[in-house]
This record gives sequence, C-alpha cells and structure tokens, in this order.
Amino acid sequence: MVTPIDIIKKKRAEAVNRIISKGYLSTKRVYVGMATCEIAAGSKEVMGEFRQAIANGLTDVYLSQKGCAGRCNLEPTVEVVEEGKIPVKYGKVTPERAREIVERHLKKGEVISEWLI
Amino acid sequence: MKEKFKLTLCDGPSCIHNQSKEIRAALEAELSQHGLADQVSIHLSGCLGMCKQGPILIVNPGFTMYGKVEVADIPNIVKSHLVEGSPVAEKVIREDHLYNRFFRIFGDVDFFGKQMRITLRNCGIIDPENIDDYLSVRGYEALAKVLTDMKPEDVVAEVKKAGLRGRGGAGFPTGLKWEFTANQESDEKYVICNADEGDPGAFMDRSAIEGDPHTVLEGIIIGGYAIGASKGIVYIRAEYPLAIERLEKAIAAAKEHGFLGDNILGSDFSFDIEIRLGAGAFVCGEETALIHSIEGSRGMPRPRPPYPSVSGLFGKPTLINNVESWANIPVIVLDGGDWFSTIGTETSKGTKVFALAGMVHNTGLVEVPMGTTLREIVYDIGGGIPNDKAFKAIQTGGPSGGCLPAEYLDTEIDYESLAKAGSIMGSGGMIVIDEDACMVGLAKFFIEFTQDESCGKCTPCREGTKRMLEILTRITEGKGKEGDIEKLERLGHMIKNASLCGLGQSAPNPVLSTIKNFREEYEEHIRDKKCSAGQCSALLSYVVNDNCVGCGACKRICPVNAVEGTRKEKHVIDQDKCIRCGQCYDVCKFDAITKA
Ligand SMILES: Cc1cc2nc3c(=O)[nH]c(=O)nc-3n(C[C@H](O)[C@H](O)[C@H](O)COP(=O)(O)O)c2cc1C
Ligand code: FES
Repeated sequence: MVTPIDIIKKKRAEAVNRIISKGYLSTKRVYVGMATCEIAAGSKEVMGEFRQAIANGLTDVYLSQKGCAGRCNLEPTVEVVEEGKIPVKYGKVTPERAREIVERHLKKGEVISEWLI
Repeated sequence: MKEKFKLTLCDGPSCIHNQSKEIRAALEAELSQHGLADQVSIHLSGCLGMCKQGPILIVNPGFTMYGKVEVADIPNIVKSHLVEGSPVAEKVIREDHLYNRFFRIFGDVDFFGKQMRITLRNCGIIDPENIDDYLSVRGYEALAKVLTDMKPEDVVAEVKKAGLRGRGGAGFPTGLKWEFTANQESDEKYVICNADEGDPGAFMDRSAIEGDPHTVLEGIIIGGYAIGASKGIVYIRAEYPLAIERLEKAIAAAKEHGFLGDNILGSDFSFDIEIRLGAGAFVCGEETALIHSIEGSRGMPRPRPPYPSVSGLFGKPTLINNVESWANIPVIVLDGGDWFSTIGTETSKGTKVFALAGMVHNTGLVEVPMGTTLREIVYDIGGGIPNDKAFKAIQTGGPSGGCLPAEYLDTEIDYESLAKAGSIMGSGGMIVIDEDACMVGLAKFFIEFTQDESCGKCTPCREGTKRMLEILTRITEGKGKEGDIEKLERLGHMIKNASLCGLGQSAPNPVLSTIKNFREEYEEHIRDKKCSAGQCSALLSYVVNDNCVGCGACKRICPVNAVEGTRKEKHVIDQDKCIRCGQCYDVCKFDAITKA
C-alpha cells in the first residue's frame, strides 16, 4: 500500500528536481526580500533591477523572492548563494547597489564587502 | 586577504561547559600556526539545540558540522579540513533537523548567530509563494508522518510531551487544550488560527505568514487531525494584504497537491481551511470576541467558561491557537516532542519570537530559546543602545505588559519570570527604552490605546481606563495632584480584578509597572511639575543661553513669533507666547537653547 509518507517523498523528489532544473545548484542564487517590511524599504525596485538584468541577457542566475529574515533596519536585503561558497548577505540594497551587484558580483564574482550585513 | 572559511562555534551553556572556550583558544592558536588567521573567521552561536552532541563546530562553506569536538581534535581538523580541504569524516555529524535551517545562510552574522529558529526556520531562505521550495525543506512531511504512523491521540501526546505553551500571550499549555478539545463528543469541531495580531508594533505573525505560510497551514491541518475537526479558519486582519495573498496562494497550492480537501494524501482524513478577515480591532484578538466576529456578530468577548474547547464557533468545540503556536507543530512532529522539551526552561519550552524595536542598533525579528536573558537580547543580538545613551527599561507584552528596569536585565525569559518581574511574555512585542524616554508618557500612550480599543461591554474596563487616562493626562500637563498615584494604583487593581476579558484585566499593567519601577518620575511630574526626560511638552521651557550669536534662525522658524532680539545680539524667548514645539531647539546650530 502507498502510504502518505511514500507520497510525500515522491512529491519532494519531484519538487527538488523542478528546482534543480531551474539552475538551483549550478548558478548563483539571488534571494530578494519581499515581505511587507522589505517592500516598504524599496525591495520591489531592487527585484526589478535583477529582473531587468536577466531580461538584458544576464545568465547563470537563479532569482527568487524570500520572506523577511528579521534584519529590519538593514532592509532591503539580498543574498547571493552559491554551492560550495560562503553565502553572501547584502543589506540596504538600493536599485543602484543592485545594478552594481549585477555587474561586479554576479558577472565578475567579486564580493562587495562594504555592503555586507 | 580573501576569507576562505567561516567557522561557527557553539557558545551555548552546555557547549561552554564542555570546553568550547578552550576549543576556541586552541583553534586560534592552530590557525595562526598555519598562517591562516586572516583567512578564517570564528563566529559564536547560541545553543544549536544539539547539546548531547556538543561541543559543536560548523565549517562553512559546506555547512560541515563537527560534534563532540575536543581540544585534541583541533590540529587534525585545521590541517585536514582547512589546509588540505578534506573534512575529518569520523567527527562529522549528519542531522537533518527541521529547526535552524536559516542557520546555513545566516549563521555567521552575530544578530542571527545567537538565535535559534523553530517557527521562523524557513523565513528569509525559501520562496514563500512556491510550494516546491517548502516541499524541498521537508515540507508536509510532518503531516504525512502523522497520517501514516500516528493516531490522533498520539499527536496530542506528542504536543503535550513537547511542553509547548500558547504563543498568543497567555501561555496556556497547548497539548492540554488539544486534549480537552479532542475529548469532546461532537458531530462537528473547528480549528482556528488566530492571526489578528493587534499589539501596536508587533509583526511576528505577519512575518511568519509572509515568509513561510505553508508551515502554519501544515500545523493547522495536523491540529485538525488531532482533535477530529474537518474545518479550519485563519482569522487575519485585513490590514495584512500581502500575508492574506500568500495564504490564499498557499491554500490553493496545498489543495492542488492534496494536502487539503478530501482524503488527504490518500488517507481517510478530510480537512479544509478558509480565511476570514478581521477589521483590525484589538479586542477581536481575544478568542471569544474573535469567534463572535467570525459568526457575524459584533466582536465582543463573553465570560468564560464555557471555554471554546467546549463551546466555541457556532457552539461547537473549537481549538484556537496563535500563528506562532501553529508554526511549532511540524517541528514537534518531526524533530520530536522529546527534543523540543530540551530547549528552554523548566516551565517554558522551545523558543519565542520577539519584535525587537525601540532604542537598539539592530531592530527586527528575533527568535530565541526560552531562558535567554534580556541582556543577551538587548546587547548581543540587538547590538546595544545607539548614541551612547543609557539603558532605561524594556517593555514587553505591549499594551498588556509592563516595563522592566535595568535590574531585570539578567532575568531569564520565560512566562513565569516575566510575570514575577511585573510584566508578561505577551505575544512578542519588545521595546527597548533609553534614558530619553518619559515613563509617565509611555504609560499614557498604552492606556490611550487600550481605552480606545475597549469594546465597552464591561464597566470597569470602559470607565476605568478612561479615568486612568484622564489622571495620566493631567499629570503630564503639570496639573497632577497629591494622591493621583494612589488613585491610579487603586483604579488599576480594580480594573484588573473586575474586567470581563483579558483586555481590561491587563490594561493597567503598563501604568502599574511604571509606578512600581519608576515611581519617582510620577512624583517629579506631580510635585515639581518637571519631566526630566524632557518629553512632556507642557512641562518644558526653552531658554536662550549665552552661546547665542544672534543669527536669527530661531526667530525665523518660531511659528508663534515668541523669539525676540536684534541681529548679532542675544535673543530671548517670551515664555507666555511659547508653545514648546521645540523647533528653535532643533534649528539652533550653536547649542544656544536650553531645554529644561
Ligand atoms: C485583548 C486581547 C487581545 C488578544 N489578541 C490576540 C492576538 O492578536 N493574537 C493571538 O494569537 N492571541 C490574542 N489573544 C489571546 C487569545 O485570546 C487566545 O488566548 C489565543 O489566541 C490562544 O492561542 P495560544 O494558546 O496559541 O496562545 C488576545 C487576548 C486578549 C485578551
Ligand atoms: S549549547 Fe551547544 S548545542 Fe546546546
């Protein structure tokens, strides 16, 4: 008999595959805070910058939204996570900073240390 | 030099006992011997919840966890892992706990390192609108486990064993409440998630739902199974549009996957969840008022008993818990009630989320194990008070809570210790107050709020809070009389004892606790007509001192033309005209205006 546990394991495997097929493991994952507090701090515009960069041809990036991690006075926050590397966490990301993160970090791999949380 | 590794060493009480401090010293010595000191940083965390395997050392990147680390292991770990790049396999522990997942991304930041996250474990690390993300972090596995291996009474027993207590404020043992409701015979039962969150400044529940709505849903579904209900309701305030939108999406996705609806995951358990919107009245967070509101009546409380577990929504047995209480449930099921009960204090298990606000460097959401001290929250996590100001008090429990002065900083937080100190745990509001705050004014702010939110059904709360507000107002306006403090105390105790619901029963707390701990400030306002903190505008005067160069800035900005003087000569403020708005004080570049 198929138990609920069997079903959930299968569902999880499928979900993980779907995520991986979007480049979860092979790219730089960019998480932009999109909770009420983050949006109030301007994260929608920041998200827009990353979307624009992808539309303009930026590749090897897995862009995702995320909820609030709780670091309110440094919002909007953005994380860049890459397998095998230390996760990079940026605070107070403005659209200008987002553009620089695209140019320097996502394209050239440079961690911009002044903006780290 | 580029940083290659970040190490996190557990600095919790059990690991310290097992020599984590000595391990740190050994690490530092070993690192500098290999010339690695500037390529490796060492961070400290609070208890990681794995004390039995402690001391714990985590190496990033890779999130390799070492357990039972001894000083003697350090040379090998440094050489093999950090120099040669191969982890020391026999010391590595592999555990796939549900809690603390956020740690993999955020663990090396001080603000987060000292926290332990159970309910917020996925907040900020997954996409809340994508159920695949939730599934990938063992989402709905707790539900599947319950449906596969556990009878409803086993689930209740697990929650009881965990020792979870309600996070909505009162701290009633959750397992007991589940048991009462499960034991009721009825053709129909309901489960309610209280997401009304009415405390001013609190946003724990909103963030939990916005960051990880499926966790809350999963908890509610499990609760429905445990007590034998087929219908769940999330009561959430309409002021939370994004949270509502994410909940709706989550419910739709859960239905699509068969986590909600008929025959969940192929079992014979069927359950549905719907959302009801509240209009944002504080009293509607009170459970009986909330139930009235769902039924379509006016949101007013009624006397208990009967409790909702016996007669709740539409007269049926109803299980009502807070968002944060619900979010604990999947972790209790998967990581186990036994594990859960190892976190926290004797009487209060698990973690509590606080919305840390006010005069601290790092404001935000903080989830810490019960038993963490207020000092750790304010200084280690909050980063201390800005602008070199002195700590004055900490306010917990919002309009139902109290203010604790510095002598309580080392209080280990739990339901009992905070109540004993004269405040309450509450739902999680935490405001840090510095020396610039006027405690009378603060008490007045909260009474203004409760007075306004009182539903008016019972006289002590309706009339009593009004009288208290009148007295506080006159004190802050310099018209206080001898005996006012005693009158406030008498009124306060009467309102607490005689009110119908928790709103009135707790409304005087902010006043009573500030009288208890800051009585001299009340006396100063009444006797000397003075507010040392300089906040009560009616008690202030602004005077020009000898620093004045006669620039005229104050004269130009004064809205009532109270400043007189000719250019390049000392100005004066006409005290009769002055409305004490403080604009001259703010605009003066020469510190030439004294506020007293
Ligand atoms: C005036 C008043 C307001 C309340 N507001 C809330 C609220 O916003 N959220 C909440 O969960 N509980 C609130 N409560 C507590 C609820 O009555 C109830 O105890 C709680 O929802 C039970 O869930 P728990 O056991 O999980 O805490 C309030 C109580 C009172 C008296
Ligand atoms: S103190 Fe280190 S795991 Fe608990």
